[in-house]
Amino acid sequence: MDFRGSYAEGSAAGDYGYQGAPESLRLRQRLSAVPDQSSPQFNWNPDHTSENEEGSSDRQNLKELPLPMELKKAIRQVQQMKVPVVSGWQSWRRSKSKTLKRFREEAGGILAYVALWRRNLQKIGGHFGGGVQSYFLFLRFLVVLNFFSFLLIASFVLVPSIIFHSRSSGNNSNINISAGQEVCTYYEPNPQGLVDFYTYFIDLLTGTGFMEYSYLFYGYYNNTEGITNDFSYNIPLAYLLTAAFYSIFCLICIVIRMGSVIRVTVKTGGRTVGGYSMLVFTGWDYGLQGDRATKLKQNNIRYKLQVDLEEERIKLKAASLTLGQTVGLYSLRAFLNLIVLGLIIGAFICIFLATQFSQTNRETDFLSLVVQYLPSIVITLANFVVPFLCDQIALLEKHAPSTTIILALLRAVFLRLASLGVLLITLWSQITCSTEDGGTCLPCGYNHTLYQCWETRVGQEMYKLAMFDFLTVIAVMILVEFPRRMVVDSCSWKLVKFVGRQEFVVPQNVLGLVYGQTVVWIGALFCPLLPVINTVKFIIIFYCKKMTLFYNCQPANRTFRSTSSNFFFLLVLLFGWILAAFTLIYSVAAIHPSMSCGPFRSLTMMWSVVPNSFHSLSSSTQDFLHYIGSQAFSIPLFVLSCVVLSYMAALASVYGQSVSLLKAQLKLEGRDKQFLVKQIEELSLASRKRQDC
Amino acid sequence: MGNKQTIFTTQQLDAYQDCTFFTRKEIIRLFHRYRDLAPQLIPLDYTNKPDVKVPYELIGSMPELKENPFRQRIAEVFSEDGEGNMTLDDFLDMFSVLSEMAPRDLKAYYAFKIYDFNNDDYICVSDLEKTLNKLTRNELSEDESRLVCEKVIDEADLDNDGRLSLEDFQHMIIRAPDFLSTFHIRI
Repeated sequence: MDFRGSYAEGSAAGDYGYQGAPESLRLRQRLSAVPDQSSPQFNWNPDHTSENEEGSSDRQNLKELPLPMELKKAIRQVQQMKVPVVSGWQSWRRSKSKTLKRFREEAGGILAYVALWRRNLQKIGGHFGGGVQSYFLFLRFLVVLNFFSFLLIASFVLVPSIIFHSRSSGNNSNINISAGQEVCTYYEPNPQGLVDFYTYFIDLLTGTGFMEYSYLFYGYYNNTEGITNDFSYNIPLAYLLTAAFYSIFCLICIVIRMGSVIRVTVKTGGRTVGGYSMLVFTGWDYGLQGDRATKLKQNNIRYKLQVDLEEERIKLKAASLTLGQTVGLYSLRAFLNLIVLGLIIGAFICIFLATQFSQTNRETDFLSLVVQYLPSIVITLANFVVPFLCDQIALLEKHAPSTTIILALLRAVFLRLASLGVLLITLWSQITCSTEDGGTCLPCGYNHTLYQCWETRVGQEMYKLAMFDFLTVIAVMILVEFPRRMVVDSCSWKLVKFVGRQEFVVPQNVLGLVYGQTVVWIGALFCPLLPVINTVKFIIIFYCKKMTLFYNCQPANRTFRSTSSNFFFLLVLLFGWILAAFTLIYSVAAIHPSMSCGPFRSLTMMWSVVPNSFHSLSSSTQDFLHYIGSQAFSIPLFVLSCVVLSYMAALASVYGQSVSLLKAQLKLEGRDKQFLVKQIEELSLASRKRQDC
Repeated sequence: MGNKQTIFTTQQLDAYQDCTFFTRKEIIRLFHRYRDLAPQLIPLDYTNKPDVKVPYELIGSMPELKENPFRQRIAEVFSEDGEGNMTLDDFLDMFSVLSEMAPRDLKAYYAFKIYDFNNDDYICVSDLEKTLNKLTRNELSEDESRLVCEKVIDEADLDNDGRLSLEDFQHMIIRAPDFLSTFHIRI
């Protein structure tokens, strides 16, 4: 249908009052060689059935039409002039849907206004692009997660504890102490006698002294089952269940966020095949402002294109290697991987020794600060030195550039999480006396000579890790990044200019965030206030990183595509969560709680508070829960989820097949079009020749 | 909301609200941004639909567009006269398509038009070379530029005619996860 002709009809039919001449509008749609191929079609005479549709869908389609504004307004006039015959019910529905839409728009506006740090994130995205912005978005997600976790813990554990402490009501249930176990109930966290003033400062950093016996750590909470006036609140049960719900809440948040990112990745079919066309047509970020950002983005795109071309060349070269060369290359790579593995294991041994040393020596002078922070120091050093060495080794491996980046990241992730794991294993082995003879563990079930209250000690260790991480970030910023910028800006030596300003390397920073969050998850059971400390820490880190980004950094040449890297960050966070979950389950189910402190002091296992309180529920609830836990329920549930899963997989494969079929059809249609055009040309040539003759 | 503004009639505001992805407040704010480009030229009263255009030089000096290498093409595609001089309708249209609420097909249509330098409804090799030069500030060598153009046509051309039609372009955009976030100007 010729678009321009029908517009003239339309303007004759009704008076729109537009003075703009239709000719000027036609200029926007140039005459094309193949008519009506790409200009949009609009049906001026819809059939009867569409009149009964909701008005809002018409309005939605109007916004999405690729037409100039004048034409859209004309179409809108035509739509409004068609007064559909609707019943009273439908007109009521339409007006309600209109108000609902308006309400939703206002609500969306308000929500966008109160979204945390919206302006800051826009500015960062505008100047440094999507990759750096994804780091800050991730940071904001973690801040909100920690804050809501703190609200959860505060409302169910902290506030009841405060109430019960202040009223000192409720009875501490007496624990049954057998003959040899009096020594287990000895716990004296408060320092005796006069202390030097600087110990307060040390205590603030290490969580000992005046901070140890406080709401900060596990040891302060009582196992009160506050019974007052028909109201009973079981603090141990609340403590355990809150920790469990907190973990599950974090898992659900991560999975939901991953789901929205994965949907995009699946749609585009995983690894993008069309790398070049994607880069050329979607590589430019239209939101960039500022001369510096634009030049950098242009350099970035040029660099990416050159790297892609280089990768092709390397692949061609690799495919053309002889057998001997290939064998040599692979054996070199295996050897280098062994070296990397050796480095990592060396780091683990250092962490193990440092933790053992730190736990067994506890003095109170200033040097003890270093001793107490020794595990944190060793972990941070290892996480700095080993990836650096691995990067140098990777230069010898001669992989393609993208493979090198992914390998480096995987090694860094493994090192970070595994070093935490080694620290925890060392702690646990000391608490349960696996490294010594079983003698010291016999009376209490845990190592009471070293740990009067082992949960508080573990909490302190996690607190120290979090603190040191924070101090490292601040120290690196002040001592490395600012001076580097000042040196680079004022000094004009070639070497200095070559080194250049600090690059904001997104993956390393994100790994730091994941490490901090994993520490919080592990420590939340033993240090309930750790989430709120972490919230404050991450907020301060946000502003510090933003400041260092704008003053000291230049954007990295090698940037990640934001959507695939978002998924990668969340995946690494999920690994951290799994590590924390293992730790929690092991502590709750396998280790004997301290007898001298904490809400679980009368039990042999933290988990046993749940079965104990189970019996206080009504019998119908007990039967219901029994049923859910039994095989009669879980096996059919398992079978049902398998059926649903296989259905989804079948659906996905069917969609994939239809996509490839449609692609093939598109190709065939293109060839048909070319064939027909050629036929038309030949026929017109032949008819012209006949006319001439 | 209240009829406190006297720039547009209610019908005009309703029409703009239905034809773009902006709310009333945003339309008024955008009008003020438009007017700030040429305060002497643009009247404060649009109720009788004055026919005024802001010349391309002023549009191209907006901070959101100033350093964009494609600013001239963007202005040309969205302007009525094809030269880059924009009326208020064109201005609103442009930022509506470039806003974050516009759907992918709409953006893909206009992106195709922007990269089609010779306006023949196909992105041919010369269009690609011009795009590439703008993207890399002419710093790619001849060979590299030619290689990249060949690869792009190889990857995206489905009907094998040596140039990209709108369908090829849209098919490629569907597989690009970043397109919605990069083809986006915040204003």
